[in-house]
Formats: sequence, C-alpha cells, structure tokens
Amino acid sequence: MKVKESEYLKIKKPVLQKLLNKLLDKYEYASILANDSESTNYRVSKTGTNISEDGTLSERGFCVKVYDNGKAAEYSFSAIEDDTVDAVASEIAERLGALGAKLPEGVTAYKFADIEDEKLFIDESTEYAVDPETKGDNNIIDLLTRISEKGRAYDEKIIDCRVAFSYQKYSKMFMSRNKDLTQNVMWSCGFIVVMAKDGEEIQNSYKPVSMLGGIEVLDTLESKLEDACKTAIELLSAEPMVPGEYDCICEPDVTGMIVHEAFGHGVEMDMFVKDRAQAKEFIGKQVASELITMHDGACTIPQVATYFFDDEGIPAHDTIIIDKGILKTGICDAQSAMHLGLNGTGNGRRQDMTRKAYTRMTNTIFEAGTSKVEDMIASVKHGFLLCQASSGMEDPKNWGIQLMVDIAREIKDGKLTGKIYSPIVMTGYVPDLLKSISMISDKIEAGGTGYCGKGYKEWVKVSDGGPYIKARIRLG
Amino acid sequence: MKEKILASLKRLNIEEYTINITNYKSTQMFFIKKSLDTKRAENTTTYNVNVFKKFEKDGKEMKGNSSVFIYNGMTDDEIDNALKRANLAASFVCNPTYELMECTENKFTTIESDLFNYTLEECCEKTAEALFAADNRSEVFVNSAEIFAYEYNVEIITSTGIDSGYTKRKISGEFVAQCKAPQDVETYKDFEYNCLDTEALKAKVSKTLEYTLDRAKATEAPKAGKYRVIISDSYVNDIFEYYKGRAQVGYIYAGYSTFEVGQNVQALNAEGEYAEIKGDKVSMTLVPTAPISDEGIWQKELKLLDNGELKTFYGGLRFSRYLGVEPTGFFGSANVAPGSMSVEDMKKDPYLWVVNFSDFQLDDFTGHFGGEIRLAFLYDGEKVTPVTGGSINGSIIDSQTNMHFSKEIQRSANFTGPYAMCFEDVPVAGA
Repeated sequence: MKVKESEYLKIKKPVLQKLLNKLLDKYEYASILANDSESTNYRVSKTGTNISEDGTLSERGFCVKVYDNGKAAEYSFSAIEDDTVDAVASEIAERLGALGAKLPEGVTAYKFADIEDEKLFIDESTEYAVDPETKGDNNIIDLLTRISEKGRAYDEKIIDCRVAFSYQKYSKMFMSRNKDLTQNVMWSCGFIVVMAKDGEEIQNSYKPVSMLGGIEVLDTLESKLEDACKTAIELLSAEPMVPGEYDCICEPDVTGMIVHEAFGHGVEMDMFVKDRAQAKEFIGKQVASELITMHDGACTIPQVATYFFDDEGIPAHDTIIIDKGILKTGICDAQSAMHLGLNGTGNGRRQDMTRKAYTRMTNTIFEAGTSKVEDMIASVKHGFLLCQASSGMEDPKNWGIQLMVDIAREIKDGKLTGKIYSPIVMTGYVPDLLKSISMISDKIEAGGTGYCGKGYKEWVKVSDGGPYIKARIRLG
Repeated sequence: MKEKILASLKRLNIEEYTINITNYKSTQMFFIKKSLDTKRAENTTTYNVNVFKKFEKDGKEMKGNSSVFIYNGMTDDEIDNALKRANLAASFVCNPTYELMECTENKFTTIESDLFNYTLEECCEKTAEALFAADNRSEVFVNSAEIFAYEYNVEIITSTGIDSGYTKRKISGEFVAQCKAPQDVETYKDFEYNCLDTEALKAKVSKTLEYTLDRAKATEAPKAGKYRVIISDSYVNDIFEYYKGRAQVGYIYAGYSTFEVGQNVQALNAEGEYAEIKGDKVSMTLVPTAPISDEGIWQKELKLLDNGELKTFYGGLRFSRYLGVEPTGFFGSANVAPGSMSVEDMKKDPYLWVVNFSDFQLDDFTGHFGGEIRLAFLYDGEKVTPVTGGSINGSIIDSQTNMHFSKEIQRSANFTGPYAMCFEDVPVAGA
C-alpha cells in the first residue's frame, strides 16, 4: 500500500500559495517547505513501558527560504491561516530585515547569483505492508513485552532487555515559482538491547532492524534475541585490546560505519565550500582499493533515508562517489552547489523545519564483491572479526579515523578462537584503510536505526552498510 | 490553543495530564570565513500533552501514560482524536501507579540575563562581533562559525493545578579554526552562555586559534603505552557525567547502578570493593537550567557528592516515587569543587596533556572513557612536543581513586569546576 498524503497540507496549500505569491512580489526567489510528520516510539524494559510521540520527529511546520538581492535568508514558523498571511509575510520581512544589519568589521554578506528554479512536478509515496496504526498500540506493546521478558529470563547475569519500535510517517510539500512537489514516506525500525552485569561492570549488546515500510519490520526482531543475550554475557569476560595493526574482517554494520563516518562525511560538499575536506583535492584520484565502489543517495536502496526530493526541492539521486577505487564526486546541497558552480545531488536535508539545510548523507553503501565470508575468515593468520559498531566521528579535514566497535573476535590460523576483546577503538588514515581492502563478500546488508549528526547536532535519519570487508586496521 | 486543549481533555473525561507549551524565538547566523552565508529567524510553538490513565492489572493498581503533540490550527475534532488515541495508548502502558506532582505554588519567572537588554538580532550580532574580534591573526583564522540566540517561553500545566512557567534566553554556537601551514589542520569548538559573555568567547576563540597553530606543527602520534594523562576544558565536565549518570533514579530502580546514598562511590573498584582514595575527592552540586521541570517539579541546586560520598539520588517523578525519594527533576549543569594541584604542578612530572579530541566519550555503564587525539602535548621529562593521532582508552572505575583536579576553574553555561584533571597509567594506543 502507498502512504497517504497529508490532509492538513492539502488544506494549507492554497494559504501557502498566497504567502508564496506575496514573497515573490518582494524577493527574487522564494520557496516554502511544509512538513506534516507523525511518529511514535514504543519502549519496553524492566523499568516499564512507554508509548510517546517523538518530539524530534513529529512536527507541523513551515520553512520559507528567500534570496533578497542575492542574500540567503530563512524563516521558520508553525502557524498560518487564511487571514494571517499578511501578518506572517510582514513578520518575515521585519525579522529577516533586522538581522545582519550590523555585521562585524571586515565581515560582509555573501551575494549569490540567480538561483535556478526549473519546472518540476512530483507527487510520490513510498509503500508499506502494515500500518503501525492499524496493528494497534496494544499488539505492538504485547510483542515487545514478550521479547523483553524472554530476554530477561535468559540468564541471571542479564539485568535488562530493552526492546523498542519506532516509526515516522511524513508528508512534505515544496513550493516555489516553478516547483510543485509532494511526497509521503514511512520508515520503521526496532532494536533489542540486552544488558548484562558483573560486579560494577555493565556490558550491553545491540541488535537492530530497520526498513522503508511499516510494522512488518518487526517480523525478524525476535530471531535476533538469543544472539543478543549470548553476546552481552560474553562481553563481561572480554579482554582489553593489545594495541596494534591487524588483519580485520568487518561485519556489514562495521563496514557501514566506515563508509559513513570515515569516508561519507568527507565528501559532503558543503565542507568543500568551507575548505574543510581533504577529499576536494582527491577527485579523480585513487582513494580506495579497486574492489571498492561507493554510493550515496535517497534512491540508492530502499531504506530509512529514502525520499523523492530533498528539503530544498532537488530530486533524489543515486550518486556514485567512488568507482572502482577512484573518487568521482561528492554529494551536495543546493546552496553549496551554487557556491561550487555545480548541481545539487538531492542531499540538502534539515533536522526539522526550524533548522538550516546542510549537505547530508542518505543511504550510503559499498557495493558487494565476490568473496565468501568463510573464505575471508580462513585467509586471516592472526587478526579479528570486528562486530557491533557503536559510534564514530568524522574528520573530513585530515581523514583521521575514530570509530568505536564493541567486539573484536580473535581469529588465529583462519579460525575464530572464541576469545573476545572490548571496547575497540579503530584509528588510522582513511585512504590507508580503504586501499588495504583485499576481499569483499558477495552480499550487502544495510540498516539505519540511528541518526547522523553534523558535528554534534542536526540529527537526520540515515542508513549505511555494505558487504563484509577484509582490511588492515590499527586497533586500540 | 491552550484553552482548546483543556476543553478537549474535559470533554474526554481525561482526569490526569500534563501540558508543556513552548514558544521558541531565535535568530541564527551562519558564516563561512568572513562572509555571512545565511541568516535565519524562527517563531514556533509546540504543545505536548502527556495523558495518564489509572487501571488495574492482576489486582495491582497501574498508571499508564502516553504523550502526543497538538498543533496550531488543529480543529476541535482533530484535538479530540489525538487525545483519544493517547488515552487509549496509555491503557496499554502497564507501569505501577504513582502520584503526579502536587501544586505547591504557581508563578511565572524570567531567568535574569543581560541578554534581555537587547533584541535577539542584537544578541546574535554582538556575539558575532566578539567572535570575529579575536579572529585577528594571519597564519590561523576562523574558517566558519554558527551563532544562535534563543528565547524560550515555557508554560507547564497539570491536572493537579500547576500552571507555571518561565522565560529564558541563551546564546550558543560553534566555530572551526584553521591553520594552513606547516600542515593544514582545524579545530572545532562549541560555546553556550546564559549571558552576553563576550570576553569569555573572545578568550575561547584566541585559545582555540593558538592550539590550532600548535596542531599544525604536530606530526607524530605518541608511542603506544601507559601515560599520566591530563585533560582540560569541557572534557573534564564529561568525566563527572559518570557520577551523574549512575546516581539517577532510573539507573538505581533498574539496577543498572548499585550506588547507595551514604556510600563513598568514588572509592569503589571494579569488583565493588572499597579502596583508598589517594587523589582528590569529588564534591559535586547539580544545578538546574530551568526553574520548573516538564513534570512540574520546582528545581533547586542539589548536593550530589561530598568528598566522594553520594548524598542523594536525583531524577524524574515516576522512578523517584517508586524509590520513595524526593523528585528533583533533571539537571543541565553542575558545579564541581576544584582540586589540590595547580595546572603547573600537574605538569611537573612527565605527562600527555590532551587538549583536543576528535570526539571524547564516556560510557557511564562501563566507565570507559576515551577518544582519538587531535592535539596533545607530550612532556617526557625534558621537552614538550605537540603530538597528534592515537587514542586514549581509560576507565573511570580504575582511575577514580587516584585522579587530581586543578585549582584553576572554568565556567560555562553547563559546568563550573576544575579547568584540568589528571589520571595515572591510562592506556594509549599510539604509533
């Protein structure tokens, strides 16, 4: 079934058109992005149950963008009626006019050339099998409770088993002089976190599921419970890593974190504009093993960051960033594209209507290769299987790697020894790691239960993934 | 809209609820080098309604809750439907019953700040002026900056008679400093002030520019091994989050934390046994960043630790009620007493002083802390060398009985406490 359009936006469209016309009388360019989004989080743990609408994902709001004599400005608001259009238009003019009137000495406002506004019409919806609202809150909570209770009963060392499900259903409308775009999207995700305790130490293991769609995402969650329980208990006897450089096999979620954190952030082209990304100097050059082809795009794969147009009215792309080891291009929001004299790649995204659009990743992956996972493990003399990516931080400027994974499983003479190490910090230089990739498995897995920040804020939903990869990595 | 929500709650016979209404006004400026790239303004309002429902399950009294957002422009029917759905959802949330926050007094306050002497536009512009005033060197400069001036008008309404609120303003933002030679490097810093502290911001920008120059000269990573590690600035605040995390009622009720009031939690080792504290003892006071919480709890300063001894638990209503402790709400700021050593004393013996991480993290479950080193100063007993690369991987549980805090203090919107702290024998994955 297709996600339905928002009745609210349908009602508001004539009012917004009236506002847009007023703005176009005053400014050389004006657009309005409108969002009607609902989302619910369901959480079950030992400490209780929670059903709540998500404050960061639920919204009814509007964002106006104008270019005033070439100068970019935006205004966010949450209320407009037919009889308040004039008042809203006046407030926009007044507040944006007052800001930046007095700039520090030596600082000037940037003047953009005329913005392109090609004629475009989009009216699209994503598909789902079962709407969470139809499933019912009681049935969702019953399922999560069953999994949580089963997890808590697995072993006496397990102190809690948190199980969660979230979904977001949103409708966005983008209007400018020449664009009339509407999209309706739903994604869902869930996870299990098992917590085990020994003395003062607590360890946890995490198993996620996510998809573009509805509650059907939970069909596979329960099957991951036993593995989550075993891993949490195993982690209590993990040893600290002996720092050094090792042959490593990365599970797809760790590959995804390398794709996203280590490389993806470095090709966000707003960083090119600011002269903050080393990748700018490497376009057309080899940055990875020739086994590597990397994509990003809202239409690359159907996942949680799939959409039909971005928050600046640019249609979704599937951008090939690395082609057989050669860096081809980056990804770009519309305003950064204007700075660079390029076209936007459909990667201009806002956390919500009150935030600026930045260049952001969407669904970011490495393509699959030809190796079998068992052959990859068998090829390692002494190294580790890296599992359960936990966090990472970008460094576009220096391509330094800081990635955290929870588990390193020891491999000796091509076999897993059963010994595990935790926590693990992966460090090094991004191209060194990517060029060291010597084997890639024949299937990819991707997921997106988390959010991606720009620095330490601006959270948006993304997915990442890829195949198992074999690489030489410095661990600590 | 407030009246429409209250009327709907009455129509639907919803007896217990909290309503949180927040109006946000902001101005925002985004700079690339010395050019204003984009400016933004905002005027938005959110209405969040939390609906509670009492029921019985297996002979036990339960109280479920579910929260929902109501939007400007919603019709009475739309509001009724949203609240009906929340009320039904609350009946599936099987939490043991507890009482909502009682009303003791009602008032609306303004959190004093000199930011109210100016318009939000002026607050943004004066902050920009301070930031760029310090950007006055040729070899190192501000690459980009973002500045936000916010005003929040918050109203909390509950079915127990609370109708109170507050107005507050703040300045926040971030900037990136860049140095192109001898190698092209950058440093990220963020800031947040409750007043127009232009001198503090100028000092922060100057110091960051200086460190960025040092980083441009750093080429080597420290050798792998164990070091006497010094950290400073905001990373010090991050370390104390361990105690804050483990003392919250949610962790205590769930059994994630075994902290007990009256216990010297700083003296506990990994096995849960007591050890002698050889270093400085932690004395920590939690400071609220709002006078009243979303649940209607009037918030005041709270002594959390005194010389390592836990004085109280803290946190939200439900788990406080379950544990039978006074609900205190959550705290966005903390004061920590300074220590016994000056920074100069800390630097007498060999050290690795990390002044910039790519992303410093502390896990309050495991006690592990660390991150990749962007810039550190290594003193081997003879000379100080700037180093970059590698990572530290420490454990607060292993280190807490032998850590030292500086006499010098730092102040920001969310922390007042030692400027620096020092740990012995921290593992470093280096070259």
